[in-house]
Amino acid sequence: MLIYFKYDLLFLIILVSFVDLFSVCSQVEKLAKHMSIYPHNLAPKIATNLECPVNAKEELLDECEVIWKKLEECQSKLTLLGTETLTDSDAQLSLLMMRGKALTAEYNQWQKQTPEIISTNPDVLVELGKEELQKVNHDLEMVLPIFKARNKKLKDDLKREQQWLEEQQQLVEALRVIEEEMKNQVVQFSEKRAFQELKIKMLKIKEYKEELLSALGEFLEEHFPLPEEDGSAQKKKSLAKEPTTKLITLHEILESLINKLMSAPNDPYLTINDTFWPPYIELLLRYGIALRHPDDPKRIRLEAFHQ
Amino acid sequence: MSVVRPFDKLPVLNSAAILLVGTDEDLQQQLAQTILKEKKDFKISIHLATSLPLPAERDHIRPRIDLIVFMINVQSKYSFKNIEASLAHVDANFFLGKVCFLVTGVGRVNRCSVEMSAVRKLGEVYCSPLIFCELELEGIRISTAQRLLRMLQICAGHVPGVSALFFSSLMRSSNDE
Repeated sequence: MLIYFKYDLLFLIILVSFVDLFSVCSQVEKLAKHMSIYPHNLAPKIATNLECPVNAKEELLDECEVIWKKLEECQSKLTLLGTETLTDSDAQLSLLMMRGKALTAEYNQWQKQTPEIISTNPDVLVELGKEELQKVNHDLEMVLPIFKARNKKLKDDLKREQQWLEEQQQLVEALRVIEEEMKNQVVQFSEKRAFQELKIKMLKIKEYKEELLSALGEFLEEHFPLPEEDGSAQKKKSLAKEPTTKLITLHEILESLINKLMSAPNDPYLTINDTFWPPYIELLLRYGIALRHPDDPKRIRLEAFHQ
Repeated sequence: MSVVRPFDKLPVLNSAAILLVGTDEDLQQQLAQTILKEKKDFKISIHLATSLPLPAERDHIRPRIDLIVFMINVQSKYSFKNIEASLAHVDANFFLGKVCFLVTGVGRVNRCSVEMSAVRKLGEVYCSPLIFCELELEGIRISTAQRLLRMLQICAGHVPGVSALFFSSLMRSSNDE
């Protein structure tokens, strides 16, 4: 069992170094290829010291040879190993054991291994550096258009946003002006309007007053006509009395009473004369519309309804 | 030589070989073409086989195989049985990270005729990652090709510091979660 394990370990160590060597080998080969290409398409400064790269190339090829020999050795050892297939019954167990061993071996190998330093030949290093730089350059070149596009987009965005801001500011300014105008207008407008409204109200009231007056006048004319208009009464009166002064209507009596009260509130009395028809005086007095002067029965005044 | 072995031949410089094993030849062809279309900085040789073992007479012109991809179509029981049988012709050392199972046709669950648990069991027993995909869709085919290429690069030792075993351990732990 121990022997088996050792055998396995050897195999794995070879395996790991094999993988590692192979990658180094391929890199070195690539480098050598590049070195032969570079002098053609690079600046003349490098082309002048052409013999050095040749030395470097030889050195690298030698290194490759050594590595390849190691590789062949490992390979020949590996071919000595017998094949081993899995049986269904314990496939998983044996595989897991193998994996465990292999991982342990790999771990040990990594522990033991010191990082290999690439050739210290300055030309090789320069070439490697160049290659690395070119790789970086290539990557950056690929990234550049993306950033350009992004930059452009950002600029456009900024422009658009600034335009938008400007528009908004203009809008705010315009709105502010309108607001100002509206404020002034509102003040003027309200004064005018109030005035207008009052005027209209007054007109309406005046109209209403006229209406009322005419209605009252009609009422008085209709219900309290002058005695002369009645044919029979006229006859009787003309018979009874001599044609006297022309009588005034109840309407006129009331009007003069009101006028008197309004024009001279300190002395609202009106002297009764012949033009006043006595039944109407009586009517006014009886219903409390007019009052007799306490000392002078010839004078009457209108009851102070407005007070 | 009836058993496929890793490291049985010297490697070819700047190249890697992948072996696709599966019964569905159309899909194999499509996948191979997609892999070849991908941009890469090494030569790649793709070998197609319906089953293992590989014919012995052309063994001398065949390069070293770095990665074996077993394609299982879950819609065909035959493909599963075929892969199970082929596994017996693979050297145990291949299962240290150089094998993966490509499970195809997973898009239509109602047409699956192979138990998913059986497929998972296979991956578990052989300690190899399962990649589920639907190769008939171009986008998935391309991304699968890219994954396989990356794996191949590691298995062929083109990535310094990462071995196939190490990589497959990482894959496994992510599968188990």
